[in-house]
Amino acid sequence: MEKEGFWGLQWQSSGAKLPPELNSGSAASDQLPQCFLNLNWKQPMAHDADFESALSSLVSSPCSNPPASADGNGIGELIGRLGGICNSNDISPSSRYRSADASCYSTLLNSPPKLNLSVMDHRQQGRGGPPMPVNRVPGPHIGPFSAEPGFEDGAARLSCFAGRSSGSFAGQFGFLEPGNLSQASRSQSPKGGFGSCVGVGQSRSERPAHLEMEMRSKIGGSSTPEATELGNGPEESSLSDRMTADASTLRAITDNNSGKWKTAAKRKGREAPLSSSATNPPANMTEEENSDAKRCKPADRNGGAKNAAVKPKTEQNGDPAHREGKDNDHKPPESPKDYIHVRARRGQATDAHSLAERVRREKISKRMKFLQDLVPGCNKVTGKAVMLDEIINYVQSLQRQVEFLSMKLATLNPQMDVSMENLLPKDMYQSRGLMPQPVYPAEIGTVLSYAHQPQTVALQSIVTSSLEAQFSLNSLQSSLQQSQSMQHATTDAYTDAPSQLGGLWEDDLQSVAQTGFGQNHGQTHASHMKIEL
Amino acid sequence: MDSKSSACSSPNPNPTLGPSKLMLAFRFLRALSLVRRTTPASSRTCRGRRIERAAYASMAYTAGASRAWSRAVLRRLHHRARRRAVAPRRLSTTAGNRAEALRRLVPGGGGMDYCTLLEETADYIKCLSMQVELMQGIVDSASSYGP
Repeated sequence: MEKEGFWGLQWQSSGAKLPPELNSGSAASDQLPQCFLNLNWKQPMAHDADFESALSSLVSSPCSNPPASADGNGIGELIGRLGGICNSNDISPSSRYRSADASCYSTLLNSPPKLNLSVMDHRQQGRGGPPMPVNRVPGPHIGPFSAEPGFEDGAARLSCFAGRSSGSFAGQFGFLEPGNLSQASRSQSPKGGFGSCVGVGQSRSERPAHLEMEMRSKIGGSSTPEATELGNGPEESSLSDRMTADASTLRAITDNNSGKWKTAAKRKGREAPLSSSATNPPANMTEEENSDAKRCKPADRNGGAKNAAVKPKTEQNGDPAHREGKDNDHKPPESPKDYIHVRARRGQATDAHSLAERVRREKISKRMKFLQDLVPGCNKVTGKAVMLDEIINYVQSLQRQVEFLSMKLATLNPQMDVSMENLLPKDMYQSRGLMPQPVYPAEIGTVLSYAHQPQTVALQSIVTSSLEAQFSLNSLQSSLQQSQSMQHATTDAYTDAPSQLGGLWEDDLQSVAQTGFGQNHGQTHASHMKIEL
Repeated sequence: MDSKSSACSSPNPNPTLGPSKLMLAFRFLRALSLVRRTTPASSRTCRGRRIERAAYASMAYTAGASRAWSRAVLRRLHHRARRRAVAPRRLSTTAGNRAEALRRLVPGGGGMDYCTLLEETADYIKCLSMQVELMQGIVDSASSYGP
């Protein structure tokens, strides 16, 4: 639970919110794992359309549900169907589900954030973490769906694997949207979805998740070629391979092609761990392969997955990826159903460890690039070590500058004493809490206006000069002029303690302050204000 | 000084945009006036250190509580207020592990993984440069106004 909350908080604070529709949540959601849907990933998903289409195809094809319906029920039915199919076949449900999970997952992952809208409805809101309790699954399919929680994890993991710009976790979660499945598989941005998905699922046990994913992907039935197309990113190649295999496996399931399925299922079993937690990646694989047990992930898996390390997930993804490749070779091009899978990069190791590491490395390189922009003169520098040195030197120099300037300010004392006190209306600030930004220049202007002594001129100039770069001077000056004309304060007031000044403020500045602070009226100040980092 | 830190209790108005320069100026100027008012003019180094602490405090408050480094800065300042320690600043040894050196530099950097450390460093650099800009502006206008 903690992790869920954590993720939810993180994401909400990130500023990217899932559309409210997603959170409107309907009862049907119980069928689908909720976890993925709740992620609000701030990073934009590159290919919204793809995702949606993939999802719709996924949902609609097996279930003949109208793709348009943004109802999670479609997916639930789909899952139910799969469960039914699984039950009817001898293939171990677990393996089947795993593959389904993986494929579904990947589809979901790649779907753009838009998808989340519809899917989220059925999910729990506010769940950052992946796995949803298995109990959501409808009665008859409860067994197979026990993997759901793992599904979510797996989905999250997948996204991690993809490691790309985390496309938007929302995207991954949106995969559930049934209407969009069909097109989603064709989308070219499987990576994004996967990447984000994987990250999300970190904290959750992945086992059940990947099972579902496989199932889903199978349902989507994206063909292998599509998978390749989707897995354009090198990183995702392994995942997408896996997904493809999963998808094909899933397709087999839906087509009741037991022979195909069995082979696929076996492979799926391996691949299922795509998103499974690191705790027992190798164990999972064999376990999945061999187990004829119900699909639902065993509790141990989910428990183990807690650590939510991307690495564990990648481990599992890596293994399925191997299989995927084989699978693709054996299987003819898949039917037009689309699914997105995560692929490991071509020619690179595809085991879970390396996948996770790759994701991590990408994150680090992304942040290093950002730092490069921040630190001046780092553009020409190449190599992490030199960059780090530059960053360290820059931080040190900034800290030294702060120290030096503070010493200098200490010696500059006499010129600013009086005006400094007048500058800030402490009472105003504290009583009103956070002031709206546009208000500040007005406030400062009014404060400054009170200081008619020569020092105030310096203060005003100081304030304006220091804020010049960011704020429009016009607004500041206009507010200054306004306040000057409005208020007159005696010099005695300035020497008083801040409390007195505050009192003075309230007595005389009430009107001014209120207009300033009350609301951000569409004052010109607000429009002129430009606050930049 | 406690008064420096107690005054600013409002949350960051722009969590998504990051710290705002206006907020920073507001807080820092207030703290600066407080320091000027309360410390005797004779002890320049003492005042200088207080101003430096005020700078870090206003920086941390402006950045908000969502940042690990800002929390660490405030934690450090509150603790040191009781122990009367010098403003914290660590020298890093480039000879050693660079990541460790960076951890020492960035407040709160010891307890996070490398990825988070880079992120926090970026935010810290942003705030630090804002603070330096502000202080430089103040010094410039003050010195230009002078004689």
